[in-house]
Amino acid sequence: MLMFRFIKALFVITLVLVLQLELFSSIRFFGVMPELMLGLAVASGWHGGPSNGALTGFVCGFAVDLYLATPLGLSALSYALIAYLIGIVAEIVAEDVERIVRLIISIASVALGLVLFVLFGELIAEPNLYNKNFGKILVVGALYTGLFVPLLHYMMSWVFHEGSHAGNQRPMNRSQLT
Amino acid sequence: MALPRRNSGSRFTLAVLLLSSITLISLDARGYEPLTKLRKAATAVVQPFRNLASTIFDPIGDAWESLSQGDNLEKENALLRAQLGDLLEYRTTTEGAVEELAALRTQLGLENLGGQETVVAEVTAQSVSNFDPYILEIGKGTQNGIREGMAVISVGGLIGRIEDPGLRSARVRLVTDPNVSIGVLVVGTNQVGILTGNGVGQPLRVPDGIPVSADVEIGSILVTSGSERSPYPGGFAVGTILEVLVDEINLEKELVVAPTGQFENLEFVTVVLYEPLDNQNGRGN
Repeated sequence: MLMFRFIKALFVITLVLVLQLELFSSIRFFGVMPELMLGLAVASGWHGGPSNGALTGFVCGFAVDLYLATPLGLSALSYALIAYLIGIVAEIVAEDVERIVRLIISIASVALGLVLFVLFGELIAEPNLYNKNFGKILVVGALYTGLFVPLLHYMMSWVFHEGSHAGNQRPMNRSQLT
Repeated sequence: MALPRRNSGSRFTLAVLLLSSITLISLDARGYEPLTKLRKAATAVVQPFRNLASTIFDPIGDAWESLSQGDNLEKENALLRAQLGDLLEYRTTTEGAVEELAALRTQLGLENLGGQETVVAEVTAQSVSNFDPYILEIGKGTQNGIREGMAVISVGGLIGRIEDPGLRSARVRLVTDPNVSIGVLVVGTNQVGILTGNGVGQPLRVPDGIPVSADVEIGSILVTSGSERSPYPGGFAVGTILEVLVDEINLEKELVVAPTGQFENLEFVTVVLYEPLDNQNGRGN
């Protein structure tokens, strides 16, 4: 069961990674591409809870780090933290929360994830992260990613909720996942 | 709405992951070799999927580009036509300058560019990050003799240098990156300065190092200086002077420079298989 979930997660992460690197890096709005892997980390936090979410977020970030010029581990750190936080938020809000609320929370989380990424980058004196385009990247990047958030939630629901992903809600107690 | 009690397990998981991330960052910053190898191996493993995806998605990306940048392309075409006219006119007046430049190179001891081995590489991807637009990916790597720091040129001149080469791919750090510095020489003078990037689409700058008395003119060509510690061989065209600003306080001239290399819509670039002596010795040791 755990192995099957691992394989599904690996498949989804690889698929979204390749889409981000090869398709969406050239389909930009105002020069900004969507942060699909960050969106995936957010969705994993929502559906997997703080623990599983943080672990999946870490893997998502690590996978992205392999292709960026920034230090290995920087995205992993930000994505794991944001997935953990969204996991806590998802536990606090009602189980049957409206999808629009989930969408808004997800978009805000993506924006927060970008802020964390740049903040941690600045702390280790990584050049080029905070620049004059940061505001644009934050707003456009979060909203653009928001377009794909329902799909990312659907994927992560498929990974974490065996046989019940069609409802795209959280149908089971998270304690069953761990 | 009752708050669920979080078990200490999730906090422990988070703590382990955060510590792992910080360890990775720290090791990577120190250039820990196994991590570099891991990065290269992971890149090589996913590369076939990326190539496949690239074949499928490239037409979509191209279509999007032509849709979103249609106006820009028309403006660019008009600009290029105007520039072509200017260049044809310029050529008739400056044919002698080519011979003069060759003579100057000889005089200054700059290396002969024709003698350098080169590799032509396809540009496989633009930057894959929102935060670092100064990167290109090319489809050739160490297998083709490409090494860290080698100069990359496109039509017109130097555009960057190789960074983090893998077996079959490599990154190019563009000279427009504000953190890139290049030693340059103003052709026709002995003036040497440090050229820095200034962001995408912005002119390059030589902020200091040129004395106010130096005879530099708008339109002069800047080439890589090829000084002893420079990673670039000498004599590569980098830019032409657009504007000369005088700093009355420091008695220096600041140069605003238009890059000669083409950065937009690149499909192929040329890597110069030149390694400075420092690199070669370092590897030998």
